[in-house]
Amino acid sequence: MDAETKERLIRSLMVPILAIISGLLVASIFVLIAGVNPLVAYGELFQAGFSCASLTHCNLFTTLQLGTPLILTGLSAVVAFRSGLFSLGQEGQLLLGGMMAAWLGYAVHLPPVVHTLFAMTAAMLVGGIYGWFPGVLRVKLGVNEIISTIVLNNIAILFVRYLINFPLRADQSTTAYSPLIDQTARMLPFEPGSKWGPGFIIAILFVIAVTIYLFRTRPGYEERMSGQAPFFARFGGVPSEGAAIRGMFFSGAISGMAGAIQALGVHYRMLDGFSAGLGFDGLTAAILGQVHPVGTALVALFFAGVRQGAQVGLQFSAHVPRELGGGIIALMIVFVAADQLYLANIHRVSAWVGRIRGRRTAEERA
Amino acid sequence: MDWGNLLTVDLVRSGVRLGTPVILAALGGTICNRAGVLNLALEGMMLLGSFVGILAAFFLHSTYLGVLVAGLSGGLLGAVFALVYLRYRVDLIVLAIAINLFIAEMTVFFMRTFLGDVGTWSDPSIQQLPDISIPLIDRIPEFGRLLSGYNAIVYFSWFAAVGMYFLLFHTKFGRHVRAVGENQAAAETAGISVQRVQTFALVISGFLCAFGGAFLSVGHLTLFTRNMSNGRGWIAVTAALFGQNHPFWVFLTGAFFGFTDAFGIRLQTTTNIPPALVQFLPQVFTLLALILVAARGKIREAVARRAFRSRARQERATHEAEQMSGA
Repeated sequence: MDAETKERLIRSLMVPILAIISGLLVASIFVLIAGVNPLVAYGELFQAGFSCASLTHCNLFTTLQLGTPLILTGLSAVVAFRSGLFSLGQEGQLLLGGMMAAWLGYAVHLPPVVHTLFAMTAAMLVGGIYGWFPGVLRVKLGVNEIISTIVLNNIAILFVRYLINFPLRADQSTTAYSPLIDQTARMLPFEPGSKWGPGFIIAILFVIAVTIYLFRTRPGYEERMSGQAPFFARFGGVPSEGAAIRGMFFSGAISGMAGAIQALGVHYRMLDGFSAGLGFDGLTAAILGQVHPVGTALVALFFAGVRQGAQVGLQFSAHVPRELGGGIIALMIVFVAADQLYLANIHRVSAWVGRIRGRRTAEERA
Repeated sequence: MDWGNLLTVDLVRSGVRLGTPVILAALGGTICNRAGVLNLALEGMMLLGSFVGILAAFFLHSTYLGVLVAGLSGGLLGAVFALVYLRYRVDLIVLAIAINLFIAEMTVFFMRTFLGDVGTWSDPSIQQLPDISIPLIDRIPEFGRLLSGYNAIVYFSWFAAVGMYFLLFHTKFGRHVRAVGENQAAAETAGISVQRVQTFALVISGFLCAFGGAFLSVGHLTLFTRNMSNGRGWIAVTAALFGQNHPFWVFLTGAFFGFTDAFGIRLQTTTNIPPALVQFLPQVFTLLALILVAARGKIREAVARRAFRSRARQERATHEAEQMSGA
């Protein structure tokens, strides 16, 4: 193993693993504050998040269902980051995509599969346009995409809140939601016990598609080049501006798909609190997953498991408030981002091991 | 529609109140933007202020002390933010997202662990921050009611805006902040400690945000609910930008956001126009402002380039003419 591959291996495997351990260690302080043995609590958490008792009571299915939108918003962030734009707009794109799908789910009437596909396509288109817009602003006018996507998120949140409170409100109950979608538009779960359904398959297909797109096609290569080295890309004849805008469109479309899956396969309508941070969770999954589609999907599922485990295991079994799950995720994000903390120490330890080994061989020789 | 009935003194007063937390957080964002550290953790800092404010008011039996402790907790969070960012080089945005998530979740964690209730916590012993009438001004008919009779945090937000203006434009520290924000390398070469300036900016920002948060939990109401800041921190991020990071304009923008909020609520009670429509107008304005500012830059650039080219062409022409005459 040469030095470079070793370095890469340390970066992509050791750092996330050490970050997860550090996050759990720091979070155990809070478990102790809550008066519970951390080992018991974490045991319950992982048991509840990643185990399967029977087909009808399977926590893992719920984890996979919760992970589905996270995989997609994570992929959306990966595509945007790879084209060099730090888009935070997943939340807004997901909401508008979901709103579109939920509306088409009851406003038009089509045969079963066609209805679902039609709503999904429309959702992706809406999300895509909502991603394309900040992309154009960035490339053509130089508007900071971090800021513009935050503003666009605010607009989308308020707009959807308006729609479900007024023109599309189903009835005058205390919480606002849109009418239920038609049976023809629904994606039914694999098992009645959970909401895990075809959306998960779609998410996996997207992981494969994005991997192939980014690493095996010319447009994907152009996108990565214009993200990594815009001047080099332009010098080599890559239309880097177009590539970045295209990346933002795809990124938005993927988030729109996440919204469609939530609307057509989980809630069957649009409601207040539809997203609850799915955008930011996906974004952080992308960062933890080293901005690689496969890594991002794994982290997204891990996040979903921690959330699910926190809800079922921590809260019900160990009596630790489930919010600790989110706290653990936040700590892990900081520890992953602080990779220098580990890299320096890993190098120090390996140098130290090397020195001891060197001394021993010298002694043996003597 | 009866417009006279809509624009009442009460409306202005509720606009001032609703604008206060946004103004404070936006001023916090302003000093960070000026120092070149984009602070997207305004939301989390605010929420921490809400939580710590009401807890401290409860345990110390004094609302004023509660607000002060909340401010200190916000400053401490700003210091932690600065430490992790400057020492371990954690990406600013990633760090801010993590802080927002951590505080949103852990405030509820502590509420569940120690306070028992699930969604909301309050205690009858907690006193709301009292309204203060300013003598003399409150005697002016009508107008006096616009300026007087708010609680201390509202007045503080007015002083904070003026203070921020003097801090940024009339002190040595302010010059350093602006220098660091405009050109970090140059500031460092000139002997300014970038780390110290950015740390102070983040601490001040945390302090102001937490004050705004405490306004929500002990100034406006006397309770804490999960996610009490409810997006106001993100609104403050846009308010700071819309106000071009100038304390005066930021103050007006924050007040404007407050008024649209109050106007939205008012519309809801007196007419059937949906409040969300009025609430999202400022967001759309912000987006338009971002586009206009960027477009202005682009146009200026194009104009300058054309002027430069025509001057170069002219110079070449005169140069050639001189050579011709010389030959």
